[in-house]
Amino acid sequence: MAKSDSAQDRIRSIDDIQTTVDGDFHITERQEDFIEYIDDPYHSMMFDGRKMSDNLSYLSSFYPSAGLFSTGVVSGKIDNPTVNSKETVEKGMEVLNVDRVHADPTQNLYLGIVHHDDLAAALANAYNSWVIENIYDKDIGIYGPAVVAPQRPDKAAEEIDDRKNEDEIVSVFIPSGGTHPPLGNEKYWPIYEAAENAGLPVVFHNASGTQIGNFPLQFQGTNRYFSNHVPTHAMTHMMHITDMITRGVPVKFNELDFVVQEAGLGWIPYLMQRMDNEYAEKREDVPMLEQPPSEYINDQFYFTSQPIEGAKDPDYLNSIVRLLGPENLMFSSDYPHLDFDHSDELLRGLRSQFTSEEISNIYGGTAIKVFDF
Amino acid sequence: MIDKEEYEYVANVEDFEDDSRVLIDIKGREIGLFQTEDGYFAVGNYCVHQGGPMCEGKVSGAVTAGEDFELKYTKKGEVVSCPWHGWEFDIVTGEHLAHTDHRVPTYDVKVEDEKVYVRA
Repeated sequence: MAKSDSAQDRIRSIDDIQTTVDGDFHITERQEDFIEYIDDPYHSMMFDGRKMSDNLSYLSSFYPSAGLFSTGVVSGKIDNPTVNSKETVEKGMEVLNVDRVHADPTQNLYLGIVHHDDLAAALANAYNSWVIENIYDKDIGIYGPAVVAPQRPDKAAEEIDDRKNEDEIVSVFIPSGGTHPPLGNEKYWPIYEAAENAGLPVVFHNASGTQIGNFPLQFQGTNRYFSNHVPTHAMTHMMHITDMITRGVPVKFNELDFVVQEAGLGWIPYLMQRMDNEYAEKREDVPMLEQPPSEYINDQFYFTSQPIEGAKDPDYLNSIVRLLGPENLMFSSDYPHLDFDHSDELLRGLRSQFTSEEISNIYGGTAIKVFDF
Repeated sequence: MIDKEEYEYVANVEDFEDDSRVLIDIKGREIGLFQTEDGYFAVGNYCVHQGGPMCEGKVSGAVTAGEDFELKYTKKGEVVSCPWHGWEFDIVTGEHLAHTDHRVPTYDVKVEDEKVYVRA
């Protein structure tokens, strides 16, 4: 815990950081933004004899809903900005005071529960075509993933191969919320293989509403957004990560990095300690592991910071960040979603306990290394 | 010749006819003595986890994984698992199979004239 920075090297604000990266910024695309980019046969199935502007009736959304109106309506107090163009992304970057963003989708967070496997793959392809043509732009720091549909790992691998040479594509995005079976399953390994070959990290991002699709059944018995949103992000990640470790995914794909988004912080050291604890007793269940589970987390998993819990309590925040490992943490905002963190939120807490180098890495250095942009 | 001042006579080879394990006590130190295909080995009977009597647990092999993660059964007769929480220890090295930075003490064993000696 060095505090040896000289006064002039000390980071007081994010202006003191050379390149600030937001590891989870959101485009707020809706199906109508990108659906015209979908390939045949789906394009003809939808638009032969119709125009985009026609009412598509029950085709108006292929993405299942958990009954949310919108985050703005749920809170009743705010309207989320629409982010569906370069200009609106730039506006968000100004609000956050960041230099680069890893721009993730919003409606396609629900892609993993689209009830048509081939269509899901086609939607991923359409979204990628739209976002590459209209939004990603390295000259203004807008980078992002190639989104893939976990329902069709073979198509996902093709998508990765087709997109990997785009300058702004820096990762592979699996919408992990509601994705079933969990992501350690061998059926997904073609995705990991293609990502590893392409040199791209795999990003996991849940949406709490996707719980209507799958794990865990008890959430179908909840009756408010609160009881759904509080536990689901971390729980779903814990399920996926534990399944991946159990099946040896990081052993098999030892050159592959994973980026786990939007579940806050405290659950990460908990999961690491719990897995190591269980590993001591149940090693025979995971005999392919060559080191304790937490070591795979240290070596190959990165976590984005938002939504930071406990920022008002520096003892909590600093302990948790130290326990999960500052080198595995990337700042993220989640802008413009309801619970976004402003860039200063994390920094305020960390300034007193972490070195300038550690803070610079959290705010950009680690993302630049992992996303290689 | 075994130095009898250094090594203590603790068991006879015939004691292992019914069970590959004999529990002994040297100067108040509980030790598990095991007969394997490769000879005799002794480890401390105190689990570094929570102090369980680890040498009283199941003696077995270990499940390991090959290159394609196919399961194998190896180290037959060379693993003892603490009866409290199942922590597995290598009888030969004293190492915990999962967290190899955890280990229990091992003791030198010698056999002469069907008698087993341990240095502890």
